Amino acid sequence: MSEHDQLRELIEAYALGALDANERAALEAHLAAGCPECAKALEEARWLVSQLAYLAPSAEPSDMLRARILRSVRADAAESAGGARITEAKSSRAIPFWLWAGVAALLLLSIYSTWDARKMQQEVADMHSRAAAELKERQQLEQDLTVAKHEAWILTDPNSKKIDIMPTDKAMPKLEAMWHPQLGIYVTAQKMPMPKNNKVLQLWLIPKAPGAKPMPSHVFWPDANGKIGEMVDNPPEVMAETKALAVTEEPPGGSPQPTSTPIWVGGVS
Amino acid sequence: MFLAAITSKYGDGESSDPALVERFLRRDVSAFEELYDRHSRVVYALVVRILQQGATAEEVVQDVFLHLWRNAGQYQANRGPFVPWLLTLARNRALDHLRLKSERQRRREDQTEELPAIAQVPDYEKALDEKRRAERVRSLMGTLSAQQKKAIEMAYFEGLSHSEIAASLKEPLGTVKSWIRNGLLRLKEGLQTAS
Repeated sequence: MSEHDQLRELIEAYALGALDANERAALEAHLAAGCPECAKALEEARWLVSQLAYLAPSAEPSDMLRARILRSVRADAAESAGGARITEAKSSRAIPFWLWAGVAALLLLSIYSTWDARKMQQEVADMHSRAAAELKERQQLEQDLTVAKHEAWILTDPNSKKIDIMPTDKAMPKLEAMWHPQLGIYVTAQKMPMPKNNKVLQLWLIPKAPGAKPMPSHVFWPDANGKIGEMVDNPPEVMAETKALAVTEEPPGGSPQPTSTPIWVGGVS
Repeated sequence: MFLAAITSKYGDGESSDPALVERFLRRDVSAFEELYDRHSRVVYALVVRILQQGATAEEVVQDVFLHLWRNAGQYQANRGPFVPWLLTLARNRALDHLRLKSERQRRREDQTEELPAIAQVPDYEKALDEKRRAERVRSLMGTLSAQQKKAIEMAYFEGLSHSEIAASLKEPLGTVKSWIRNGLLRLKEGLQTAS
């Protein structure tokens, strides 16, 4: 098989973004060399790959999103139209030749200093940008450390109450919750399957009060290894008012009230 | 031939109205609005599927459509149909978002994001063309083996490479490459026949 044929076989995976670095580099070099057959095949492969978008389960964007986007677009359009009118008005005025000559002279005189100033401004802006990125990273690390301490405290404090959240299906793993009266609830689990059909897991607090509705709480899902480690910062102030914790599968983003039967339930008190 | 067959039948990727795209390129707000109404569902569904999170998906979709409006010149009608271009833009933006943030950061942010209102009943009348198209692609994908489908979806929706997929599925690299290539060729053949 010729090198061209070997590279031609990579086109679909390239359009999909699945090639590893060495194959991607080889194919890009081949395309850059101007192979018309592969360029055409790539156009077709890009179209083909774009069709995979239709495999995504149907979902409807909110009306609020539409309103936000159209508001921004209309504001942009109005601004552009205003700018165009100003430019038109200015260009229609007669400007004397001597003024043009003066402006040209000033421009010539200031070209070097402008270029130099811009270069310095760019350097300063780059430094600011780097400093801001580093500060952001540091703040994130500090935040993560605070959260980790918070979680460790809940897990080790004798005031925390351990709650086993047992599956209704015995084949499923159980969840564990540690509820600290002041610090919140920390939920953990291992070997959890990923919810199907893009659903997420949602924690519910079942009140003791007769007739009271389940309180929606944290939305979460397992990581790629099936692990869960979720902090629930805002449970009810009094643990004794809660009868049980339950977990259901809900649509992306969670629900204000359960739309399915709990898959896990654990008594609190 | 294949692309020509597809684009001649479906024109502007389901839009039988290239004039609409032309008006949009001339900065016509009403054309943009109509394009949004026609294609925001599939864009949103794609981004939700990639990010698995409705609130973040809305941010990315907003970013995609505002980018579309502010950089309309990036789209050149003579280089291909509009909708596949839009879907590619949306996929890239969503995958970039996925790669930029660590799992932990995302979880923290998700806790503080206000959940948006999401309509429960899809507007089937307006979504009809895209619904048919989705049915066709899903039906063709249904003819692939479970492994082929899984590998293609991991590459497309999760942005994983051949070797990452092989490691994740614990399968030989060559096997994964064959699954993906043969699966895509079968899909292509099916679309060509359907077109």
